[in-house]
Amino acid sequence: MKGLFKSKPRTPIELVRQTRDLLIYIDRDANIRESKREEKVAELGKCIRELKSILYGSSEAEPVPEACAQLTQEFFREDTFRLLVICLPKLNLEARKDATQIVANLQRQQVHSRLIASEYLENNKDLMDILISGYENADMALHYGSMLRECIRHQVVARYVLESEHLKKFFDFIQLPNFDIAADAAATFKELLTRHKSTVAEFLSKNYDWFFTKYNSKLLESNNYITRRQAVKLLGDMLLDRSNSVVMTRYVSSRDNLRILMNLLRESSKSIQMEAFHIFKLFAANQHKPPDIVNILVANKSKLLRLLADLKTDKEDEQFEADKAQVMQEIDALEPKDQP
Amino acid sequence: MAEECNGQATAHYPLDPNSYRILSEIGAGVSAIVYKAICVPMKSSIVAIKSIDLDHSRVDFDTTRQEAKTMSLLSHPNVLQAHCSFTVDHRLWVVMPFMSAGSLQSIVSSSFPSGLPEPCIAVVLKETLHGLSYLHDQGHLHRDIKAGNILIDSNGAVKLGDFGVSASIYESGASRSLSSSSSLLLTDITGTPYWMAPEVIHSHNGYSFKADIWSFGITALELAHGRPPLSHLPPSKSLLMKITKRFRFSDYENRSNGGSKDKKFSKAFKDMVAQCLHQDPSKRPTAQKLLKHSFFKNCRNAEFLMKNILNGLPTVEDRFKQSKLARLPSLSSKREDDLGDDDSEMKQRRISGWNFNEDGFELDPVFPSYHICRDNANHQGAKLLKFEGQLCIPDRRTDSDVSSINSPVQGNNNGVHESRQVASGVSSPGQVEEATQETLAARDVNGGGGGGPTVASSERVVVGDSGVKIKNLLAGLVELRNSLDEQRREVRELIVRLGGGGEVSREEQLLQTVERLKKELDEERMKKFELLKQLDLMKISASNFSE
Repeated sequence: MKGLFKSKPRTPIELVRQTRDLLIYIDRDANIRESKREEKVAELGKCIRELKSILYGSSEAEPVPEACAQLTQEFFREDTFRLLVICLPKLNLEARKDATQIVANLQRQQVHSRLIASEYLENNKDLMDILISGYENADMALHYGSMLRECIRHQVVARYVLESEHLKKFFDFIQLPNFDIAADAAATFKELLTRHKSTVAEFLSKNYDWFFTKYNSKLLESNNYITRRQAVKLLGDMLLDRSNSVVMTRYVSSRDNLRILMNLLRESSKSIQMEAFHIFKLFAANQHKPPDIVNILVANKSKLLRLLADLKTDKEDEQFEADKAQVMQEIDALEPKDQP
Repeated sequence: MAEECNGQATAHYPLDPNSYRILSEIGAGVSAIVYKAICVPMKSSIVAIKSIDLDHSRVDFDTTRQEAKTMSLLSHPNVLQAHCSFTVDHRLWVVMPFMSAGSLQSIVSSSFPSGLPEPCIAVVLKETLHGLSYLHDQGHLHRDIKAGNILIDSNGAVKLGDFGVSASIYESGASRSLSSSSSLLLTDITGTPYWMAPEVIHSHNGYSFKADIWSFGITALELAHGRPPLSHLPPSKSLLMKITKRFRFSDYENRSNGGSKDKKFSKAFKDMVAQCLHQDPSKRPTAQKLLKHSFFKNCRNAEFLMKNILNGLPTVEDRFKQSKLARLPSLSSKREDDLGDDDSEMKQRRISGWNFNEDGFELDPVFPSYHICRDNANHQGAKLLKFEGQLCIPDRRTDSDVSSINSPVQGNNNGVHESRQVASGVSSPGQVEEATQETLAARDVNGGGGGGPTVASSERVVVGDSGVKIKNLLAGLVELRNSLDEQRREVRELIVRLGGGGEVSREEQLLQTVERLKKELDEERMKKFELLKQLDLMKISASNFSE
C-alpha cells in the first residue's frame, strides 16, 4: 500500500519500468489473492494513464519531446510493448483505451529521426498474430483492432500481414454479426489494401487469382447488403488507384467480373449502384476490350443504356454526368465482334 | 466498474433480429425509427432499438462505423450505452436499454409546459454534466446536447443519449424531426440549431468542447422555461432569419410578459447559465469545473426526480403517438423547407453574437447591424443592380471588414439585417441566386417585422438613389473590368517571363489561335480582293479584246 501513495515524481524511464514490473506481476497469474491483484491492476491503470499524459500532454502542459523520446526508447528496449499487448485483456476498460492510445502514439515517435516502433515490429511480427486474433474475441476486438491499424502504418508490417495467411480471415471478420467489430475489421482491411501503394500493387499482382476469386464470391456476391456495399466501394478504391493499373486492366478484361458488376449495377440500393458504376465504366472505357466483353455489352446494349440513363446522383455531379455520357456513347457505338 | 468492463454488454445481447419482438414505435426521424422491443432470450427484457436506414442515411458510411465503435467503448453511468448493434439487410439496428421515462424534452412538453422546478433541473443537469465530463475526458464531443437527448429511466437515472449513432429517441415535438437526421449528419454543422453555439453556426471557427458547454447552457434555459429560446419556430433553411423575427415580435415575449415571467430563479442558477453562455468559448468553464458550481451543491437525488417528475407521467409510447398526431400538419410544410436546406447557405447567415440577459434569464442574439455606405452612393446602386440585374457577386468579406469601411445607418442593437457588400466583377449564376434569396429574406424580415419604419424607408431611399446612379455605375464597372483584363494580361506576361512559359492557359491559347486565324482571314480577303481586281481587269481587257 505504501508504494501506492508515494508521490515522488517519476522519470519517464522509471515509469515505464514500473509499468513493466506490474505487467509481469499480473501476467504471472497463479496464486495471488484477488484483492491483491485488483490493487495491482488499479496501480497499473494509473501508470498507464501517466504514460499517456506524457505522450499526449495534458490540459496544463504540452508533451515534452525529450520525455517522449526517453519513454519510447525504454518501452521498446525491454519488450514492454509485447507485455502490454499480451496483458491487455487483464486491464479494465479505461486502461485498455489508454493503452491503445499509447500504442498509437508510439508508432509515430521518432528517436534520433528513426521510427523505432517500425524497427521493433519488424523483429516482432508475431505480435500481429495476437492483434489479428483479437477479432475473434468480442471483448478485445476493438482494442486490438485499433492497435493493429496503427501498426500497419509501417510498410513492413503491412506487407507481413498482407502476405500472411491472416489476410484470408478478414473475408470473414468483415462479415461478423457484431456491427462495430465487423466495421473495425473492414476499416483495417481497407487500410491494408489501400495505404501502401507499391506493396498493395505487388501483392495484388502476385495473388491476383485467389484474391479476386474470393473477393468476388465472398464479398461482391454476398447476401449481406453491407458486405456488398463496402466491397464494391473498396474495389473501386483499389482499381481506380493509378498504382494498380496493371491489376485493373486485368480485372476489366474478365467476363465473370463484368457479369458481377452488371448485377451490382442493377441493385435496388442507390449507393451500391453508384459505386458499381465507377467500376463498370472501366470495363466500357477499356480500349482493348476482349471480344467476349464486347459481346456481352452488345447483347445488353439497350438494357444498359436504359439503366444508365436512369442512374442519377442526388446532387448535381458534373464529373459523373460526363463519365456517364462517355460510357453510354461507348456502349452505343459497339458492334459485335467475332470470337478469336 | 470492473465487471462492467470485463463482461461487456456486447457479448450478451443476441445479434439476430429474430431474438427481438417489436412492441411499438416510440420515435422516428428521417432515416431512423426507434422501437420499444422485447429481447426474448434475455428473460424478455425490454429494450429500445434504433433502426437506421443505411442506404438512405446521408452520412458517410465510414463515419457510421467510426461512431459505432466509439459508442461501444464508452462506459459511464450517465452515458447511454448500446447493448449491441448489427445489420438487418440495409438497416443498422442499435439495441439499447429502454429508458422508460423518455427524454426530458418529452417529459417537459407533456407535463411541464412552463418548465421544471429548479431543484429538479439541478439534479438532471448535474447528472448530465457528469456524463458530459466523461465524454470530454475521453476526447469526444457530444455535439447535440439538449433536453431531447437527456433520458431518464424508471428509477430516475439520467443518461446522456444520442452520442453518434446511438439514439435520438423518446423525443416529441418540433425539434425531433431535425435532430434525428442531424444526429447522423456529423458534417460541418452538427447539432440542432436552437442549441448551437455561435461559433458553431459560424462554423469556420470550429467546434470545441466549449460548444457543448454552450448547448448545455441552452438546455438549462430549455428546462427552466419549458422550451429553448427561439424554439417554436420550425427549423428550416431560413432558420436564423426566423430567429431574428422571433426576437422582434414573437409570441415568446408576449408569453413571458404573462405567467411564466413570474417564475423566479436562484442567483446560483442564473450565474451558472451565464457562465455557460459566455460569448467567448475560452471563458466558458469546462464540464469538470462546472460541476463544482454552487448551483450543484446540495443537489437532490434520483428518488427526488421520481417523486417530482416521473409520477403520473404518460408512457413514452403514448407521448410519441400524441406528438405524431400533433406534428402531422406541420410536417408537410416543413418538408418543403427542408428540401432546399443547404449547409453552405446556413453558414452564410451570421449572428455576430449572443447576449445572455441574466436578469430576464433570456438569450438575445445580436446580429451584425446593417451597413449602408453614405460616402458612396454608387455602391448602393450596385447592391440593387446585383439583385435585379443579377450581375455581381456578393463580397465575402467579413463583417468587421465591412464595418470598418462603412458606417452603420442604424444603431438598433436588434438590427436584423445581414451586412452585404458588393464587389463589381464577373457574375456567377450560382452565387447570384443565393444573393437574390438573401435579399428576399431580408425584405421578408423588414416586411413582416415592422422592426422599424426607418429600415424600410432607408431601403426606399436607396432605390431612388440607385435609379439615378445606375448609368454612372455601369460605366464604372465597364472601366473596372477593362482594367482588370489589362492587369490579367500583364500578370500572365510576367508569369511567362518568369519561366512559367509552359503554362499558357487554354483560354490564352484559344485567343492566340483566334488572333492568328483572323490575320489569315484578313490575308485571304486581301488575296481574294486582289484576285477579284485582276479578274475584273481581265474581264475588261477581254471585253476590250472582243470589241
